[in-house]
Amino acid sequence: MLVNTYSRRIFSLAYQFSGTREEAEDMTQEIFLKLYNSLKKFDFSRNFDAWLLTLARNHLIDEYRRTKWEKKTRDEFNEYSLKETTEIGPEDAALREETKKRVWEGFNHLSADIRMTIILRDIQGKKYEEVAEIMDLPLGTIKSRVNRGRIQLAKVLKEQKEKENGM
Amino acid sequence: MECELFENLLSPYLEDELTAEERLAVEEHLESCADCSVLFDLMRETQESLADFPQAEMSEKFLERLYEIPQRKRKFRLSLDFLGRPALQPYMAAATILLTVMSFYLFHPEKSAIDKSINRQVHLGYSKIGKLYSEAETFTTSLGEHKDNILDTVKRKQPFGRNGD
Repeated sequence: MLVNTYSRRIFSLAYQFSGTREEAEDMTQEIFLKLYNSLKKFDFSRNFDAWLLTLARNHLIDEYRRTKWEKKTRDEFNEYSLKETTEIGPEDAALREETKKRVWEGFNHLSADIRMTIILRDIQGKKYEEVAEIMDLPLGTIKSRVNRGRIQLAKVLKEQKEKENGM
Repeated sequence: MECELFENLLSPYLEDELTAEERLAVEEHLESCADCSVLFDLMRETQESLADFPQAEMSEKFLERLYEIPQRKRKFRLSLDFLGRPALQPYMAAATILLTVMSFYLFHPEKSAIDKSINRQVHLGYSKIGKLYSEAETFTTSLGEHKDNILDTVKRKQPFGRNGD
């Protein structure tokens, strides 16, 4: 069943992109509605996962541009359920969680396209070729967007660290 | 400027996609430039952090709402199924045209001028019909007056070939 197989992935994508659970739930529902409406049009020679993610990407970016989510704050990162990391010590774990929190908040500094590219490549672990197919853009553009997104997030981290250190 | 150029190579360097020569150039730059070196460390930290982001968990209640979507859609489709019948297509097309024309008329900025023009045309039509009716009446009266003459002429002419020979 489609919900069993894809809902978690789509919800995660929507949550990582929008930053709030409420928006993510609304968006996921709308994406599934669109999915059921467009299933008849699906070309079975295509990759279904990529097709669905393209549909989700289009919906999320269109909604972002329509409603301007970037003006809203994201959920507190500690509300976001974390993977259990057992191999590292408590101090390292706290440090990693702190970095995740900063990165999570840093997403609001990225444009919709770069944010989506970073989520697909670095969080969802897609290959560059897969991201290019989902985003419907040339491979070179995707690589350059990923680099730009990582640099922007690194700069946000740098600024936050400098602020905290009183520099 | 040099830093900007090297920034473009940081992700490929991180993902080991550079040639040996490019790699060496990046490493030399990172050793000599503290800013880029800090940026690269933070970039690696960011990437590692992103790779460790978990998938978000959904609540049971929300999952139930997702399962209900196809059923809700089916109910909605059933109630409107009759609208998609091919037999209704000509009527739908006619209704669409009628509604389009009506909307042009109803929402036209000079609707009152159109109303006046329609009224004038209707009155003109009425008076033309009246005229035609009175002309027809005059014609019938004059035909009655000349009835005897006409019949006499027709009898004398024998138009159907019985003129005595």
